[in-house]
Amino acid sequence: MSTESITWLLPLPPLLAFFLIVLFTNRSKALSHSLAVGAALLSWLGSMIVFIRAISTEHLGLNPFESVINWLPTGNTWLQIGVRVDPLTAATLFFVAWTVLMIFIYSIGYHNYGQPKGEHDKAGLQPHGATIEDEHGHKHVVPSIEPMYSRFFAFIGLFAFGMYTLVVSNNLLTLFVGWEIMGLCSYLLIGFWYQKPTARAAMIKAFLTTRVGDVFMLLGIAYLYTSVGSLSYTDIFKPETLQKLGSTPAVGGFLGLSAAALIGILLFIGTVGKSAQWPLHVWLPDAMEGPTPVSAMIHAATMVSAGVYMVIRMYPLLKVGSEAGHLSLVMSVMAVIGTFTAIFAATIAVAQNDIKRVLAYSTISQLGYMIAALGIGAYVAVVFHLITHAFFKALLFLGSGSVIHGVEHGALHTGEKVDPQNMFNMGGLRKKMPITFWTFLIGGFALSGFPIITAGFWSKDEILAEAFGTGHWVVFTVLSIAAFLTAFYTMRQITLTFLGKPRTESAQHAQETHWTMTLPLVILAVFAVTIGWAGISKSFPVIGGILPNFVHDFIGSTLLEAPEILTFNIWPLVASLVAALGGLSLGWLVYRNQKEGAEDPLKLTLGPIYTVLKNKYYFDELYNTVFVRPAYWVADTFTNQILDRGIIDGILHFIARIASNVGHVFRNYFDKPVVNGFGDFVGEGIKKIGRSIKVIQTGKVQQYLLMALILAFGAMFYFIFTFIQH
Amino acid sequence: MIPLSWYLIFAAILFCVGLYGVLVRKNAIAILMGIELMLNSININLIAFWRYRSPDGIAGQAFAIIVFAVAAAEVAVGLALIISIYRRRSSVVAEDMNMLKW
Amino acid sequence: MGFVTNNILALILFTPILVAWILLFLPKEQIKLLRWVTLIGSLVPFLLSLYVWLSFNSGTPGFQFETQRIWYGVVGSSFHLGVDGLSLTMVLLTTLLTPIVILASFNITERVKPYMILFMLLETGMLGVFLSLDLLLFFVFWEVGLVPMYFLINQWGSEKGERELWGGKKVSARTYASFKFMIYTMAGSLGLLLAIQMIGVAFQTYDLTQLFTTFPVATQLANIPFKLPLETVKAIAFWAFVIAFAIKVPVWPFHTWLPDAHTEAPTGGSMILAGVLLKLGAYGFLRLVLPLYPQEAHRYAGALAFLAVMGIIFGALAAYGQDDFKRLVAYSSVNHMGFVVLGIAAAAYAAGTDNAILALNGAVLQMFNHGLSAAGMFFLVGVIYERAHTRNLNDFGGLFPLIPVYGGILIFTSMASLGLPGLNGFVSEFLVVRGSWPVFTLFTALSMIGLFFTGAYILKGIKKVLHGPTNEHWVGHITEINVREIVVITPLIVLMLVIGIWPAWILGVINSAMQLLFKG
Repeated sequence: MSTESITWLLPLPPLLAFFLIVLFTNRSKALSHSLAVGAALLSWLGSMIVFIRAISTEHLGLNPFESVINWLPTGNTWLQIGVRVDPLTAATLFFVAWTVLMIFIYSIGYHNYGQPKGEHDKAGLQPHGATIEDEHGHKHVVPSIEPMYSRFFAFIGLFAFGMYTLVVSNNLLTLFVGWEIMGLCSYLLIGFWYQKPTARAAMIKAFLTTRVGDVFMLLGIAYLYTSVGSLSYTDIFKPETLQKLGSTPAVGGFLGLSAAALIGILLFIGTVGKSAQWPLHVWLPDAMEGPTPVSAMIHAATMVSAGVYMVIRMYPLLKVGSEAGHLSLVMSVMAVIGTFTAIFAATIAVAQNDIKRVLAYSTISQLGYMIAALGIGAYVAVVFHLITHAFFKALLFLGSGSVIHGVEHGALHTGEKVDPQNMFNMGGLRKKMPITFWTFLIGGFALSGFPIITAGFWSKDEILAEAFGTGHWVVFTVLSIAAFLTAFYTMRQITLTFLGKPRTESAQHAQETHWTMTLPLVILAVFAVTIGWAGISKSFPVIGGILPNFVHDFIGSTLLEAPEILTFNIWPLVASLVAALGGLSLGWLVYRNQKEGAEDPLKLTLGPIYTVLKNKYYFDELYNTVFVRPAYWVADTFTNQILDRGIIDGILHFIARIASNVGHVFRNYFDKPVVNGFGDFVGEGIKKIGRSIKVIQTGKVQQYLLMALILAFGAMFYFIFTFIQH
Repeated sequence: MIPLSWYLIFAAILFCVGLYGVLVRKNAIAILMGIELMLNSININLIAFWRYRSPDGIAGQAFAIIVFAVAAAEVAVGLALIISIYRRRSSVVAEDMNMLKW
Repeated sequence: MGFVTNNILALILFTPILVAWILLFLPKEQIKLLRWVTLIGSLVPFLLSLYVWLSFNSGTPGFQFETQRIWYGVVGSSFHLGVDGLSLTMVLLTTLLTPIVILASFNITERVKPYMILFMLLETGMLGVFLSLDLLLFFVFWEVGLVPMYFLINQWGSEKGERELWGGKKVSARTYASFKFMIYTMAGSLGLLLAIQMIGVAFQTYDLTQLFTTFPVATQLANIPFKLPLETVKAIAFWAFVIAFAIKVPVWPFHTWLPDAHTEAPTGGSMILAGVLLKLGAYGFLRLVLPLYPQEAHRYAGALAFLAVMGIIFGALAAYGQDDFKRLVAYSSVNHMGFVVLGIAAAAYAAGTDNAILALNGAVLQMFNHGLSAAGMFFLVGVIYERAHTRNLNDFGGLFPLIPVYGGILIFTSMASLGLPGLNGFVSEFLVVRGSWPVFTLFTALSMIGLFFTGAYILKGIKKVLHGPTNEHWVGHITEINVREIVVITPLIVLMLVIGIWPAWILGVINSAMQLLFKG
């Protein structure tokens, strides 16, 4: 099969799996997960074939695999959609395929396939566990299978379809289709346990917050389509098109921007929503309400990466207007927002106790890294970090799921009521869950940028080096501090969870999870280390140049002008070493002796700042007061009661009332006296006359005859008289 | 030859006799007879005028025959009505037949 | 066969009448027989229009399958039918929705016979509007459609609820709603009738094919009262047309009859009301206002776009503020039809350009799409109302575990209504936004507020009905959607998906029609 055909087919297996599960196989759990995993496997296979063909093609950046079809008739022309595989697509496909497949496999174990059904389990609630009796007559509570097992696989199938569609698209329209389908899936999956009020609130929050970005993005797409006449990347990125966009003022002279800048900002707002950048970051931590594989899916493999992918994809457009040493407006905005988000989210992550929330904020922070890096033009470094981040963050989420699962198992076993996600209820899991521990450690170190061996180091170092090399001091400093914080909270997490002694009974009885869960961890851990070796800068001391800098050469060729290689500088390396090692050791030092029931030492040190951080700078409360409540007031009170029922219906009723009153007036002063009066008068009059002359009707025939005679005579005389006169 | 006026005077007298009978008699049959007399006086007039004025045409005779027919029909219907009333009310007095007044 | 093909439009138009006539002679106790006769009878126009659709040649300019008969020769009006891509799309929507609605109305048990007869008359009224090529005939059918709808709301509407009028007077909600619907629409069509008379008197013909060429370029009109200048007369006539159609669409602020009528109507009535009747107004804009008054439309397009955006925003906001599920869906119609009007306004302003064609493509497709999704949504509301006898969202909650199939269908249909890419609504909304962006940039940007709240109210509906802790009160009372209801919703769902994924089959026809009609 040609590469183009395979690319067309890539998104289809998960979609088919979705439809088949929903329509036919949802009663059989085994069949459903086989279908879903089989579909993911097919797509994975296709992606690997495409990837291998892509890296073995010379000058793929100049001649990408591309195939288009006519989709929408628009006047004399067609809006074409199609698929395209260029280096960026190939690289994205690579990590998407791997992480998606791993998450699919992991989900089987996570949802307790093979376990008995719980007695009290209901659709829409987390399984409560099932009681079984062993051969000795002892009763045990064990984890029970998810009641909506099949539905979960259907939804993540659709999710994967959305991501594949987005990645293989050659145009913004189908990218947006995939983008929004993922939005729907995140909605459905965050609220997978929809009976929980918190989950229900989180699902809506996620969908609506990202939708704020989406509507701006839709405008951006419409604007771009208007200006270029096409949405395919090839057409948009033609140098003459870009130049035209850069020199045309924005529609309506908006803020004196160029068209390219306005389009860029509109599209970037889409990313702000989807990749949870400040100020639209609020949905992402709440999204932890979903099952953990979903968190991994949303926050590592697919959705948030999609936001970054989109800006990377549109980079040539965003770059329009920047010259050497001078960033274009969109890029400056990105650099500011990204940098701010990176440090902002990192500080919040420090004060979180929920194992998944720490990761959620770290995701926001890392995405901020990427946005900031793209803002300063570090194109290759961003893609590199996107890939490494996808692997190690997927690993961390799946690992945290494994931890939670293990602790839940302990909680069910002991019957203890503890929050299985609170890190202060854990500790000492290193011995209980060795595979999870080691893989989590690798993931955590990769996230912190542990030098040389982990992938995160290479990608993060490259970002810092770019920031330093291009002279963006503020970005460099802030990102370095954020890196330090990242290392600190990661080590805090690892120490609290795995090291020391168990702080609860549940942690004491935690158990290593099923192989379907640990196998993906191991595979992802391998990538979390090795993938970094593909992008070691040639100029790095000692080991630079041993391996080819594949990432730079391959990804860089996506752009028409390949980005230049920075010369090596010692300072960013020092900064990243200090941040990573310093943060890690500080985290270990602070938390290694955490006792059962003891306060967070950070709380004692930071005091009120800790409270602010713990409450995420009160953004939820702020938005609730400033946006949510007023919106509801406008909808319910203003629009409904005042505008529609009050004013508009009021005017209508007023008119109706006038009509009704005019009618009354007519009735009382014209109809009744004049029209009715005349009719009555005629009727009554005739009646009266009849009554007065009825006396002549005696019934006596001879009287009638006499009357006739008299009248006849009268007539006769009259005629004779008149006759005589003539 | 007898002049026309004689016939006319005779017819007028006959008409008045009939009219008198119609107006003053109480018996419905007598009233009917009075009507017959009046009709016949008309017939005399018709025939007389025909004979003296236009003996070549047949209009006068035709009129007279139509009047005969009308008279015959009238008698037939009138007698039938009177008999019917008599059967129900045992009376042929015209003044008693006042059911149709308001 | 020759007879059928030569008079196929008349057959489509009058088959419902024939069915109604047959129904008249069936015994009223035989409810099953009445239902099935109506259903099968209503499938005939659908099959015929499918035949027309398949043999329609979208590249040919002008009207096809024309039929012209002498009707009212004295005033120059004839019985003239014909279709182009625009009207054919609408005819297909009508004939498709009617059998679906009839099937959905199988739950009606009282006075089935008059109900079915009224529905058949309604179908003729609607089809007549889409098919006529004669202004007078258009008006006749325009009014014909009102009467059955009035009785459907008034007699079969929801039995609960009352509405307070002035001075503490109270009437039952369905009386209020039906009356408001009837009077409002009638009030709008008075001006329309006058304007039509004016045109007819001036040109001695009501034939649209002639008026399209003569009226817009007329430099003088015969028989103008009071010697008014031509400009003024045309402007007044334009607004008379616009207001009549704006009430029907409905354009904000003429929309308040809609939530009342939709909410009180029986399920089938709401479906056809939202699915087809609203399209009559938009169709009026496209068929009559734009071709007959290009200059006036251009001049006043800004105002129309403003109203459209207000409709989009306030329709969505009002929907978001509802606690009555059906009213929420009803307001969503105001929101969605706002996009149709926005597209039309943009096309009116930028007539002849590519933007106009795109906006019109979007508008017409949005009409079709809204017909599908609104009918589907009203049907689903009806399904749950039939079981729970309440429409108050706060009474539901957590029904998903009780009715998973229904829940899935509701989410799907809601998403189509929300405009999720991959389903039908997105394609049309995207085209409208794309077409109107360069024309009315600010208005298009503002309409995004409405698009955002579309998401808010759709999610609110799903949240309150399906999600959250299960309301134990309903366990055992609310049963799963049954086979008949699934059969009703399936064609709608399939079409939503098909249009979302592959819109070219229908958009191709619309596109060439728009080009032939409005290209320079």
